[in-house]
Amino acid sequence: MTRIVSPRLAGYAGLAGIGLLAGLVLGRVELVALAAPFALAAVAGAFLVREPSVALAFAVDRERALEGETVGATLELTSPSGADRVDVLLPLPRGLRAQSPNPRSLRLAPGETRTLELPLACTRWGAFALGPVLVRVRDRLGFASWETRLGDREPLRVYPKVETLHGFLAPHETQVFIGNQVSRAKGEGIEFSDIREWAPGDRVRAINWRASARRGELHVNEHHPERNTDVVLFLDTFVDVESNERGTFDMTVRAATSLAHRYLQRKDRVGLVSFGGFLSWLVPASGTRQLYRIVDSLLQMNVVLSFATKGVDILPPRSLPPKALVIALTPLLDPRSAAALLDLRARGFDLVVVEVSPVPFVQPGGDELSQLSYRLWRLSREALRARYEQAGVPVVEWRDGVPLNIPLEEVAAFRRYARPVRA
Amino acid sequence: MLGVGAFGAALLTLVLWRGMDEALPWSLISLGIAYTLSLVLHGGPVDSAAPLLGVGLIACAELAVWSLEERQPVPAERQVVMGRFRALGALAGSGLVASGLVIALSAAPSRGGLAWTALGAAAAVLVVAVATLLVHRAG
Repeated sequence: MTRIVSPRLAGYAGLAGIGLLAGLVLGRVELVALAAPFALAAVAGAFLVREPSVALAFAVDRERALEGETVGATLELTSPSGADRVDVLLPLPRGLRAQSPNPRSLRLAPGETRTLELPLACTRWGAFALGPVLVRVRDRLGFASWETRLGDREPLRVYPKVETLHGFLAPHETQVFIGNQVSRAKGEGIEFSDIREWAPGDRVRAINWRASARRGELHVNEHHPERNTDVVLFLDTFVDVESNERGTFDMTVRAATSLAHRYLQRKDRVGLVSFGGFLSWLVPASGTRQLYRIVDSLLQMNVVLSFATKGVDILPPRSLPPKALVIALTPLLDPRSAAALLDLRARGFDLVVVEVSPVPFVQPGGDELSQLSYRLWRLSREALRARYEQAGVPVVEWRDGVPLNIPLEEVAAFRRYARPVRA
Repeated sequence: MLGVGAFGAALLTLVLWRGMDEALPWSLISLGIAYTLSLVLHGGPVDSAAPLLGVGLIACAELAVWSLEERQPVPAERQVVMGRFRALGALAGSGLVASGLVIALSAAPSRGGLAWTALGAAAAVLVVAVATLLVHRAG
């Protein structure tokens, strides 16, 4: 424990000394009487300084929670010698808010055990380590205090809320495994595709008897098979623009979680690439375990400043499988990520760019030069968007407060109606 | 004299208003100097209200410190507040007794002289030395 003695203890001793000496010099007993309470306070305060012993056990009722839920933290304090005043503070990261007083002061009788319940509201996603608890013990008049950190570190993961996505982006091509996506290819499946003439090897159950009777020769039904798809969520983590605890990175993580949840529900394989100052990836896989893997990876993700030049060629090939749909979530602020996305398109990937717009988080300055630079910045963003569209990449702007369904619908419409332009 | 007293009171107000805890001893010293000046200038017999003034000064200091501490938003249990209030009362009470004892002893019939002055000086130095030693050990 770190002991801190109040400077007023020395101050009282000094005042007592001045009073006694002044009384002697001036021959006035009143000054000695004036100094007596200060001398008494200094002596009593110094005598009362005894190092207390306080023990604390800290626990959190669960390790995982959803954004918006409440997690209970329990602090169990005990002191064999007792303590006149114990100040207890659990330092909380941004994203957790105490719903009862924190810090708070209490008194511990000798041998007494006090249990403090501290409900914590999870206001933002994140991977947190709670504790140790800051404890300050003071004597009754506050002449001395002891400060220490008690309790273990308790992990708490708060998962972002998943937005319900009504639609989803279907990739141009499917993979070979069974899933929920109706493939454009023909094969064994449920969805009717076409009728063709019978050929040796066709199964009898595939014969369309009505069509065969009408045409005079055997015809068989063809179907579209149900296949799974590979989806890679490409996150641009070079830059974050934020304002009032909301920002592009926060939106990116929320969108990635919702998309991963939606695609994994459909038995698709989902992978993750974090392309930024710190590069990380998850190879596409399916199932609930992959969802937890992705969300855990997202929680630990952060924007790291870097000046290193990076391209998609440094990514392992397995992280970007062929025929995969790549959904890029980017604020389109860093030229490295903009170039990497164009490179992906040039390599033939089915690419969709969801522009997590930083515009709502940027306030232009009041002077003319600031206004001009703001307009130029907006124009440069328009130019970059046009470059993507020229390359056949759908780009949609997603602003804070707008449901993710809307930009996804825009992309779906773009992919439905866009026609390649040939020179 | 009035000016020094007014300066001390103004300084105390400033301490409480702006949270300047480092100026608290100077406000107490100013008030003490004002009282000393009134004693020296007016002379007269022993002022029997001196213990009350001493207790008033230390209570003023303690309450000012408490007030400054409460500016940090740490909600305290009723037991903690009452405990400090009782301790403050005990300090003021014992200070009043000690101070009153000093005034009472001064009224006791005894002959003055160099020996008593030397004894008084030695006792004063001893009290300050003990207080300083204890504070040093506590720190």
